[in-house]
Amino acid sequence: MRLVNRLLGRRSDRAPYAIFGGIATDAYKTRSLRSRLMPVPIPEKLVLPLSQNLGVDAIAIVEAGDLVQKFQLLAEAGEPGSVALHAPTSGLVSSISNATVADEFGSQRLCIHLQSDGENRAIETVPEADYRALDHLQLLERIERAGICGLGGAGFPSAQKLSLGMKSGIDLLIINAVECEPFISADEALIRERGASVVVGAEILKSACLASNCIIVLQEDRADAIEALKKALENSSIELMTLAAGYPVGGEKQIIQAVTGMEVPSHAYPASIGVLVFNAGTAYAVYKAMVDGEPCVSRITTLTGAPLQTPKNFETLIGTSVSFLFDLCGIDTTRHTGTIVGGPLMGIQLPTLDVPVMKTSNCLIAMSAAEFPPDEPELACIRCGFCAEACPARLLPQQLYAFSRAHDHEQNLAHGLFDCIECGACAYVCPSHIPLVQYYRSSKAEIRAQQRRQLQSQHWQRQFQQHQYRIKKQQDEAPHQISGDAVGPLKDDEPDKKNRSREDGDKTEAVVFSRERAKREIAEAVARVRARKAGHIASSRTDAKSDG
Amino acid sequence: MQTQPSAIVISSPMQHSQRSTGRLMLLVIAACIPGVATATWYFGFGVLINIMLAASMAIVLEACALKLRGRDIRLHLSDNSALVTAVLFGIAMPPGASWWLVAMGIFFAIVIAKHIYGGLGQNLFNPAMCGYVLLLLSFPVEMTSWHIPNDVLVDGSSFSAFSLAGLRQSLMVSMPVFGSAQMSSPDSIDGLAMATPLIEFQMAGTSALLAAWDAGVSLFSRDSGAAWELVNMGYLCGGLFLIYKRIISWHIPCAIIATVTMMSTLFYAPDSSAIYGTPYLHLFGSATMIGAFFIATDPVSAATTVRGKIYYGIIIGLAIYGIRVWGSYLDSIAFAVLLGNFCAPALDYLCRPRIYGHGKKSRSVPTTEVEP
Amino acid sequence: MNLATQGSLVDQVNRLLPQTQCGRCGFEGCRPYARAIVEGESINRCPPGGTDTIIHLANLMNERRQALDPGAGNYQLPTVAVIREAECIGCTLCIQACPLDAILGAAKLMHTVFEQECSGCDLCVEPCPVDCIDMVPVSKDSHLPWQAPGEIRSVYNPLDSMS
Repeated sequence: MRLVNRLLGRRSDRAPYAIFGGIATDAYKTRSLRSRLMPVPIPEKLVLPLSQNLGVDAIAIVEAGDLVQKFQLLAEAGEPGSVALHAPTSGLVSSISNATVADEFGSQRLCIHLQSDGENRAIETVPEADYRALDHLQLLERIERAGICGLGGAGFPSAQKLSLGMKSGIDLLIINAVECEPFISADEALIRERGASVVVGAEILKSACLASNCIIVLQEDRADAIEALKKALENSSIELMTLAAGYPVGGEKQIIQAVTGMEVPSHAYPASIGVLVFNAGTAYAVYKAMVDGEPCVSRITTLTGAPLQTPKNFETLIGTSVSFLFDLCGIDTTRHTGTIVGGPLMGIQLPTLDVPVMKTSNCLIAMSAAEFPPDEPELACIRCGFCAEACPARLLPQQLYAFSRAHDHEQNLAHGLFDCIECGACAYVCPSHIPLVQYYRSSKAEIRAQQRRQLQSQHWQRQFQQHQYRIKKQQDEAPHQISGDAVGPLKDDEPDKKNRSREDGDKTEAVVFSRERAKREIAEAVARVRARKAGHIASSRTDAKSDG
Repeated sequence: MQTQPSAIVISSPMQHSQRSTGRLMLLVIAACIPGVATATWYFGFGVLINIMLAASMAIVLEACALKLRGRDIRLHLSDNSALVTAVLFGIAMPPGASWWLVAMGIFFAIVIAKHIYGGLGQNLFNPAMCGYVLLLLSFPVEMTSWHIPNDVLVDGSSFSAFSLAGLRQSLMVSMPVFGSAQMSSPDSIDGLAMATPLIEFQMAGTSALLAAWDAGVSLFSRDSGAAWELVNMGYLCGGLFLIYKRIISWHIPCAIIATVTMMSTLFYAPDSSAIYGTPYLHLFGSATMIGAFFIATDPVSAATTVRGKIYYGIIIGLAIYGIRVWGSYLDSIAFAVLLGNFCAPALDYLCRPRIYGHGKKSRSVPTTEVEP
Repeated sequence: MNLATQGSLVDQVNRLLPQTQCGRCGFEGCRPYARAIVEGESINRCPPGGTDTIIHLANLMNERRQALDPGAGNYQLPTVAVIREAECIGCTLCIQACPLDAILGAAKLMHTVFEQECSGCDLCVEPCPVDCIDMVPVSKDSHLPWQAPGEIRSVYNPLDSMS
């Protein structure tokens, strides 16, 4: 293992800065780059999760049974964090129901199920005659309408990112084409073949966030892409920077550090230091939205892994199922041991193959026992410190591990657990094979649960105070409202119980309370319900028997 | 969000480097070979016998301790950590030590200093040095008597320590079941020479190696007086190999060596006793090299932050020189390392690196707000 | 200044209590119990808080940690009240019993519980004349998205590690 601190890539005027930590991994990229970028045939069935980043759902505006055309709006952005969703092809909305999505837990999310009619009829698209004529707010609005979110990983809605940036002012726009994770080659394939479009997309983004500078960043060992980009960048104000290979230089915080030497403050957005980072795929989606007028309905996805006969990069429709794509590449099921969405270091291992490609799915890896040997058993941590050397956030993973084992969350917070970007470099280098990232994730989940409980009890405390206040107020007003009531004066030793039995003020409104009448009514009601319940129980028992 | 509990949730990363703790430990042992081989060459098979005895007993004790603690014996033996402890302990023991001495030390090292604390990774102190120090304090005479086979001393210029007869004699002295041996008592000949190798450097400063070279004496003869220099060279080579393989980082050994060099330069007094000798004497005349590269770098008990490692090395370096020169133990490595172990947790806490995105001032402030 | 050290001692104790207002400690709500603790009441009478709360209280009050007082009840995972609406007769007794005003309803009309507002104090269960209120475990707390490797428990429960 080598420290990747020495980033030696040079360009005439700008030299990259060193990032903290990092690891060197094998690339495994060439095999999927051998063939050209291919469009995927239209599958019969598409499943479109309403949330493309597994966060906030968009609001569906179609119903089951609707006929839709390609590029037609299916769901519009609602709460912050959601993005609009468009039909990738024409067909019938068969249902809007839960389906398994691409996460580690096999979660079910609400999805639009689209039955393709095979005709691929599109609604009329309105290309922007000259995007340069639009001001940045108009550009922002187009980007939002096209349903573009970050195609690199997290899927943050691009329009929201841009408007965040506008508030603080942006000096530098970084187009991230550094695919530092092994296996992924989607951005490289895109730049190699459609570099000019990416550059146009970058220029649009640049004017949308009013940035003064724009840099496209690549890894220096990707010669083809650099060549293509250099050609595309002639007569452009956009600069090119190459970084030495290493993981995780392509992470948002790390690429900012490598390009500018600045660090994004903890718990802040990059925009707070005047930098925005967009993925190259996002720039291409912006180009399509502006120049062709097409919303984001497809993306470039790498299909790779030893069990695939022809690994390649596909232009995939959103909603295509993973198993459909694997079949296209000719999968050897006997060697196939598992599936990863994303890269091997930060990706998601799927519990099932029957999940759809989303806007964030940049790579699908068919795992084999040779490339992904089964996990070795966890041994004791010997505090060798390899993890601390590898950590790009300069945390002390060995300490965080000990604190996580001890559930010592105070120390976890003091040692910056929430500055962990879960890049997995620590677990990669750990000679004792400790699944460190999983420990950190579980600790983070515990801390969040604790904090949720704290907020909850604060809320309950407020509610109780308001409840007491209300009772007090009713008590004060009571003698005027209720005259001749059976209830005597309150005893001091148990004020609340008396209060409660007496009050039902604003909920029962003007009903004058009479204890005797209430008792009588309750008794009658109890009798009625007993009778009904007896009937219910009898029927439910017979149901249960017939079920069992 | 509805979530179905799935059987096994696998967390990223899915790929791992090929290094394993067991292999790292084996490499550490491999790096000891040059030093151990040189020592065996000069001091006879007693060195090897110590290591073998310690290793076999360590494995048995480790297995028993794991069994008692209800751990998977095969899995945890495969980390080879007990073996490394045993090799370092064996190297530290005087050649020709009795088997029961070795047994007692290794029992203390493995069972008391390691497993009672919770096993590998939980021990605060270097197990090998704990065992060694226990023996040094309890059996000072035995621990400072070096038994060199008679043949070596009779025929000083030959290598008969390295002969079959030497092997037999060495076996007999450490394990009397092999018969009783006529060994040289340390007092009989040049006495404490072997126990306090520093005194061998009567020339105080000039290299015996170079002197022997100039005098045309064979370097491999014990007469050359170059034994300790060559042994230390062996450990230095092994240590550099470990740094090259990135198994240990350079910080601790460099800090120790720099501190010892600085201290001995500062207090160099050629006309007083040999103990205020040259830096060269202090680096190559004793166990400094094995201490700096092999013992102080035991990751479990050392500091793990970069700055912490440097301070840790400086503390050990100061202690090595201080105890050696002003204390009553010439071989101060064990005490110095244990002293460093005491400081390591505090050093790690005080030397936490500045986290990405945290300003210099807010470094010590625990952040409590977390986005939900 | 740290939030935990702000305000009077009663406030500090009160902040450590779970605020379910269940009254299982024998006091009318969490704050009265907090006042009683400051005046010398034992710290182990809060079943919803469990061992965590006892540990925090012991640290704050500089007292010995002790096991939960069985007289107050046993620790259980958080629950919420759910009214079986078909059986509800609309008597409003549960509404009157609820310390957090988490139940909505009117006389002779069906009642229902706001799940987010309910602290699971189960004070509404006893007054119900038709026993149509169930206490069910909170769904979001019973399943953590990520669990530590090898840990089978769904929630880290400090009671497990308390001897």
